[in-house]
This record gives sequence, structure tokens and C-alpha cells, in this order.
Amino acid sequence: MYIKLLCVLLYVGSCLANVDDTSVLPEGFVDATQRSTHTNNWAVLVDASRFWFNYRHVANVLSIYRSVKRLGIPDSQIILMIADDMACNPRNPRPGQVYNNANQHLNVYGDDVEVDYRGYEVTVENFVRLLTGRTQNGTARSKKLLSEAGSNVLIYLTGHGGDGFLKFQDSEEITSQELADGIQQMWEKKRYNELFFMVDTCQAASLYEKFTSPNVLAVASSLVGEDSLSHHVDPSIGVYMIDRYTFYALEFLEKVQPFSKRTIGDFLQVCPKRVCISTVGVRKDLYRRDPNKVLITDFFGAIRPTRVSTDRINVTLANEDDFIVSTAASKKPSFRIIIEPQFPTKFFQLKKLRSM
Amino acid sequence: MKRCDMALGYLLSIFLILGAGHAQINIDSNEQFHEELVIRPLAGDHVNTYFQFTTRWHYGENESLFHTQLTPRVIAELLQQFDVKELHIGLTQGLWRYETWGYPVVETTGGAEMWAWFNGPNLTDQEVNRQWTQLANVFSGVLCASLNFVDQTNSIAPKYLLRPQFMSGGGDENQSKFIRYSSLPREIVCTENLTPWKKLLPCGSASGFASLLNSAYVHNTKFHSLGLTVRTLCEHPENCVLELTQTANLVYDLRLLEQSTGDFSLRRLFGMGLNGYCELAGSSQIYVQLNEQGQRYQLVPEPTKEIKTTRGGHTVIYGVYDMQKQFEGQGERLFNIAWVTPKGDRKQRLGGGQHQFLIPPPLNVHRYLLGQGQERGRIATELTNNHYEPLPILLQELIPWYVHAYLHTLRIRSRNLQRHEYTNSKKDLPFQVLHYAPGKQRELPTHLEIAFELPPNSAALITIEVDYLLLKWLEYPPDANHGHYIGSAILSTLLPIARNYTAIPIDGHLFEHSFNATRPSYVLSLHTEALIVSLPTPDFSMPYNVICLACTVVALAFGPIHSVATKLIIVERQSAAPKNFLKKIIFKLTKRKSNSQQQQQQTEEDKAIGGTETDIDPTDQRES
Repeated sequence: MYIKLLCVLLYVGSCLANVDDTSVLPEGFVDATQRSTHTNNWAVLVDASRFWFNYRHVANVLSIYRSVKRLGIPDSQIILMIADDMACNPRNPRPGQVYNNANQHLNVYGDDVEVDYRGYEVTVENFVRLLTGRTQNGTARSKKLLSEAGSNVLIYLTGHGGDGFLKFQDSEEITSQELADGIQQMWEKKRYNELFFMVDTCQAASLYEKFTSPNVLAVASSLVGEDSLSHHVDPSIGVYMIDRYTFYALEFLEKVQPFSKRTIGDFLQVCPKRVCISTVGVRKDLYRRDPNKVLITDFFGAIRPTRVSTDRINVTLANEDDFIVSTAASKKPSFRIIIEPQFPTKFFQLKKLRSM
Repeated sequence: MKRCDMALGYLLSIFLILGAGHAQINIDSNEQFHEELVIRPLAGDHVNTYFQFTTRWHYGENESLFHTQLTPRVIAELLQQFDVKELHIGLTQGLWRYETWGYPVVETTGGAEMWAWFNGPNLTDQEVNRQWTQLANVFSGVLCASLNFVDQTNSIAPKYLLRPQFMSGGGDENQSKFIRYSSLPREIVCTENLTPWKKLLPCGSASGFASLLNSAYVHNTKFHSLGLTVRTLCEHPENCVLELTQTANLVYDLRLLEQSTGDFSLRRLFGMGLNGYCELAGSSQIYVQLNEQGQRYQLVPEPTKEIKTTRGGHTVIYGVYDMQKQFEGQGERLFNIAWVTPKGDRKQRLGGGQHQFLIPPPLNVHRYLLGQGQERGRIATELTNNHYEPLPILLQELIPWYVHAYLHTLRIRSRNLQRHEYTNSKKDLPFQVLHYAPGKQRELPTHLEIAFELPPNSAALITIEVDYLLLKWLEYPPDANHGHYIGSAILSTLLPIARNYTAIPIDGHLFEHSFNATRPSYVLSLHTEALIVSLPTPDFSMPYNVICLACTVVALAFGPIHSVATKLIIVERQSAAPKNFLKKIIFKLTKRKSNSQQQQQQTEEDKAIGGTETDIDPTDQRES
């Protein structure tokens, strides 16, 4: 229905363009393309680094996790991959907590985190399988990206990268070509409506260079040839807390409320070179909407507008018997529990052994 | 607009269904939920807190297994999807110290441990294997643990040690039962496991005892263990009980708590007081041990009643707080229990607190590796029997496939507790049972079960020699130098006395069922420590180094050889320049003066003289 409307508008638009010989598109068409069309939100958040000295990468990914969860994406639609355990690491003097700041104001680990892939499970293979929906038989539901053509997907990657690759756990790497292929496959399989790709690593912009799939907006913490830098060190744990780009991204996201009018355009300005030291790279050419008109909650939140009604509403119940069990539920008779012996005494000829 | 109305309609209907469910809970007694908390001060300024949440669902075959009220849906669906009758999952961090803490209520090993019994019509071994890996996958999602690594390469089928704790119901006794066991000693346990575990409870973490389990206060303990046990008890297929037991066992070190004086309270341990009880629970009881180590404290407020329980000649006194009565008139206030040392005792306690050890439990076990190097070693398991009677011992080992065990080197030597040396080989203890399933590289782990009799007041040392395998390049984990784990061995025995023994009897399901539960003997199972071996680990940067070195050598060799092979050597003609230093300077000065005039001439001369070598390769000339 919408597609039809779009086609008609497109047709009218092209006619008008031909007649007027101008590149100005009709307002209706522009509006239609600028309106958000997603039905649900998914987030894939990946920390690809292992080892304690990469604490900052875990803090990065948890910062984004905290924000998307706070803005309404449920845990069942967030796939969180963390390659190492920082919260319960023996080196962490504050067990069960991960902070983004030496002042310890914000425990980004929180009290109800759910990590879907952790430790050795964070591999390039699992990540690509997750994106493309080719998970192995029997994979748990919470480990699958069950997005469809109406889903807006946020992909966030952090770790150690180089020109054209991102290292996974110091033992393998994903290349920008593999990433682009994965996303193209997602598009062909109608696994996303719009995709926001965010990456915080050295030479991050190289990771989105090969993208060709439509409706992808990409932002990277540094351009090719640049390093992405960490923010500050916490002397009490002896490692860097968080990376600069994500630190300022979180600072911005903390101010966003579920019904905020902030746009992705604002978000792209979040870390100017003055504070980031690296240059934030943005790729907009695959994205048809104007980032300045796209709400940030289109990717970072899942907002369901609800209406409170005081009107009388007629609810027809299909068949009451289906779900109201008769209150006179029969009480089951209890029985004696007989379990077989838990120790094979038959092998022992202990004279003093007491019989069971 | 219409869609919106419809959505609202659905919402309303959902509320209606929920409402209907709520109304029934009081009437329908086929589903029950109980919460219990046991607090026992331990020797050496430690406190053990044990939470147990028990859901029992009395169901018949004709009822839909999907229709549950207190039992989590995922557990009910297990019975539909799998032929699993009994399932145990443990997620543990830390080591339980048997010598000083006694025996725990539930036994677990460090990391993740899982075993299940399958029983059903027409089950085959392949089918059980399939269901087992799928079951592990399901719980890897449910509990956010890496249980999906459980497969045939690290699972065994225990033969004697683990016995079924379920009742399959009459009629099909001749159906064979299958068991699978696996452990993942490397698994970490953190908030991401606690969160989904709490979500399985009827009240979640909102109210009841589970509200005390806050991640920051659970994970700063010395030992914490989450457990989940499901079993079915069927008289016949129409009359069954599904029993789900969730346990959380924590040991706090009081010296690590802030402003520690040796006193403690619920608020000190868990960060907050108790906000009430779970409204869906049939009972909410707190049991506080009053004698033994508990003697040194005074309780504020005093427990409402005391229970004296004698089990196997061992008496324990528990103070009981019934939360449902406690909160009757209390309103919104948080409930707190404080353990206070009476003033007179404080000095004495602080001075001599270390000496309050309990009598060591009858059986103890430790495990360690012997030998050096990365090629071979010996696994040694040492058992100590402090009791005056012999104990029957059953031991199960699961040795991963990357460690080769040699059965012929398996020995059990023993010594009297007064002696320090083990006797020589002539006096090895005889095996009563030896079950051995050899491992297969990359396919099967080695499974070993032995039974023997441990003489009174003596120790036994079980040793087996092993080889460590050199893995393939891609089989090493990303942190290969951390080492590889060998899971803990499980040991089972029959204790004649119940000293330090707190386990719940097999036919009971609540902690209170262990009160006065005297039996002829008590089945005790213990876990040894897990081992970490460093397999021969190659230097992974070696190929890179080799390539760099080889390239350098080739380049160094190629240059001169190419140059020698392609250039012609010509004898140099004497140059016109003088050899004497002074004359050289004069020559240069005169040359510079007449430089402009002689430019033409000079270049011609240079050409004529040439270099020491003249290139004859035309390509070389083009490049220069």
C-alpha cells in the first residue's frame, strides 16, 4: 500500500521534474521519504576485545547497551556480545560493576544486564551468522537477530582495528568486505528497514567504505589513517576507562529522553575534533533521509505511542472457556515418593556398612 | 485508528486473562511456591547464606503443559519438547572449603556444570545426544551462559555415580534411562547469569527474598553459586509433580565488608533490608543457625521460634522468622536482622576468633597436578578419612580429549593419618569397581569411575599419568597461554554420621525437610578442585617471524648475487688527481677557479674515465 503510494508519488514527481525541468522534488514525496517507516528496533552491540587492558571497550559497548535499554529496546531485541568478563574479573576491585568514568557516577553494567554472546562465543563466524540469520541449528532464541523488513537495526562495534579490518579477540579479524557482504545479505533477505552502523576503533571509517547496501547510515570514530583515542585512566584499576568517541556519545545519549526530539543529525555532531582528537567520519550517501530530520529514537529507542482512552470499548472474548479454568480444579492426590538408592552399595562388602 | 483500537482490545484482554489468573492462585493449590533463606555463621569470620526457591506443580497428563501459573513457561515447555525427566545446572564462582565450612546444602563445582536424565518411549542413544545438545543450547539462552559449548566432546554418561532422582511413574520401569553429564570449568558467573535466573521466579526480583540478591552484593562474596534443578515425580502419567528448585549459595567474608567489626546484618550483607515476602509464596521462612558458630552472636530482633533438629546424632538449633507473620503489621518498613556480639564476649572473640574451628568433617578431598613440563604429568587426587570407620568411595573423572590418560598407571595408595609418606606399591588399595571409557582425540573425553574402600583414619592418593596433546593451530583459544582446564572429579560416599551434613533428603524438597531427617546413612557427594594445565603452546607469531626472517635472508642474498651475475668488472684506470694531501687541496682549488671554463672539458674527461664499474645492463642504465 505504502509502496504503491510511493510509486505514484515517484511517478508524479518525475513528471513534474520533467515538466518544470528543476531538481526540486514535490513536497509530498519528500515527506513520504523522510517519514520513519520502521515497525520495531533491534540492536547488535559487539565488543570484540579480550583481556583486562581492554576494559575500555567493554565500557564502550555497555554504555550503548545502557542507552538503548533505557530508551526502550527490550533485552530480547538487544544482542550483546562481550568477549571478556570485566565485571567479575578478579582484577576488578568492584565486582559486578563497570564504570564509564573514574568518578564512578554511572555503573554501565547495571543490575540487570543480559549478555547473549560472551567469552569464546564472540567470533567472526558467530557475528556474521547472527547478522545474516544463518545461525546454527538449535541456537537459542535470545542469540538470534530476528529482525524483518520493518526493523531498524543499530550495529555498534568496538575493538582494535586497522585499515579495513577489526580484530576479534586478538586471534581473528573481520574485514570491511566481509562486513559489507554481510549487510548486503541482510538487505537481500529483508532483515532491516534502515541500518545505523556505528564503530569506535582505530581507522574506523575504513570499515564502512565497502558498503553498497541501501538505507545504511554509518558513523565512525576516526578516519582512515587516524587513531581513535581513549578518554582517561582510572588509577584505582590501572586501565583506561572508556574511549573518547563513546564517552561523548554516552554523554549525549544520557540527556535523551524517550520522547526527545533530538535527531541523528545532532548525534553525528557529538564529538567534534576538539574533544575527540580523531575526526568522526560519516557516510550518508546510502541513506535516503536527511539525518537532521531523523529522530534519534528511530535507532536508539523503541517507542510505542499509546493512547489512553476513556471511551467505552467493546472487547469480544473469543471463548471464555479457553482461558478460564474451572475454579473447582481437582486437587491431585498426593503420593509417596520412592527414589532408587543414590549409592551403589552392592559393590562393597563392608561388614560394618549399614544397609540402606 | 482501527488498528490502535484493536491493539487496545488485545491489551485489555491480556489484562483480563491476567486478572483471571490472579484470582485463581488462592484457589488452585496444585501449584505451590516456597522461599527459604538459611543463614549460618561459619568459622573464621565467614557467613553462609543459602536461598532456596521451590516451585512444585502437581499436574496430570490431560492438562495442557502450557498452562502454568507459578512455574516458568520455559520449564513447562521442557517437558513438551524433550524427554528430560531430571535436570541439574550449577553456575559457581569460587571454591567451597570443606575443612572449615563443612558440607554445603547443594554441591556444585566451579564454572558451569550440567547433567540430565532422559527417559521416554523409543529413546535411542543418538536421539538422547541430540536432545542433550539442544537442551544445553536452550539453557545457554535462558541463563546467558556459554552452555552451548556442551557437546559430545565434553559429555559423558556416568554409570554409577549419579543416580536418578526422579520417578518415572508406574508401568514403564523397563524403559531405559539415559544420563548425560558435562562441565565447563572455565565458565564465569556474573550479573548476566543472575538476572535471567531471577526472572524465572514467580515474583522476579521485585519482592521476596530474591530482592536481596543484588549483583554488587552477590559478586563480592568469596563463593557464590546459582543452581537450578528440575525433576518430575510421577506416580503414574496422570498424577505427576514437576519440581523446580532454584538455589543461591553465598559465602561472605566478614573481614571484607565495610567497617567490619565481626558483627553483621542482612543490610550489611545484601545492601538493603528485606522488603517483604513474595505474595505468591506459600511460605517464606528465614532459618538462622543459633548453636555452634552462631552461639557467639545475639540476634536483633529475636526469632519468633526455635527449632531443635537432631539428625544422625548431630543437633542443630535454628531460629525461625516467618516473614508472612513478620510483615502482618509492619507496613512498608524494611525488615532487618542483626547479628551482634554481646559486649563481654567481644574482646575474647576478637582475640581468639581464629580458633573457633569446627571439628573437621569426616571426608575431605583435594586434587593437584604432579610433574613438570608441558608434555606429561600426573593427576593426583587425595582423600582424607577422619572417621573411625571405613568409607565406601566412588569417584568419577572426566578427562578432556586433549589430555591422554593411561589406565595402567592408575594407582590408589594409602597411608595412615599419622604417617606422612604413602606406602609402596605392594599395598595399593584394590578397586571394587573400575569403569573406563577411553577418550578419542577431538571426539570423546575419557570417562573413569572407580570404587574402593577407604580405611578408617587414613588418606588415599589416586594417581593417573597423562600426556598433554599438541593441538592444531585453530584449536587454541584466543588466550592460549592461560592454560586448559580439567574439570573437577566428583566423589560420592555413604556417611554413617551427619556431622556438618546439611543436604536435603532425596524425597524432600524444602530445607525444613532436612530437620530431624535421620537415616541409616547419608549420601554425600563432593567436588574436587578443577585443574589447569598448560598444554604445549606454540608461539603464534612464529609464522610471521619465519616469513620476515626468510624474506630478509633472501633479499640479502639476492642483491649481491644479482649484482655479481649481471655486472662486468673492468680494471680502473689511474685518475689524474694527485695523491699527496696538500697537492690535492691545491688541485681542488685550481679546479674550482677554472671550473666554469673547464666545465665542458671536465665532463668529457669524467666520461672517459668512467666509474670503477661500467654497467652493461641496458635496463640498469634506463633506471639511473
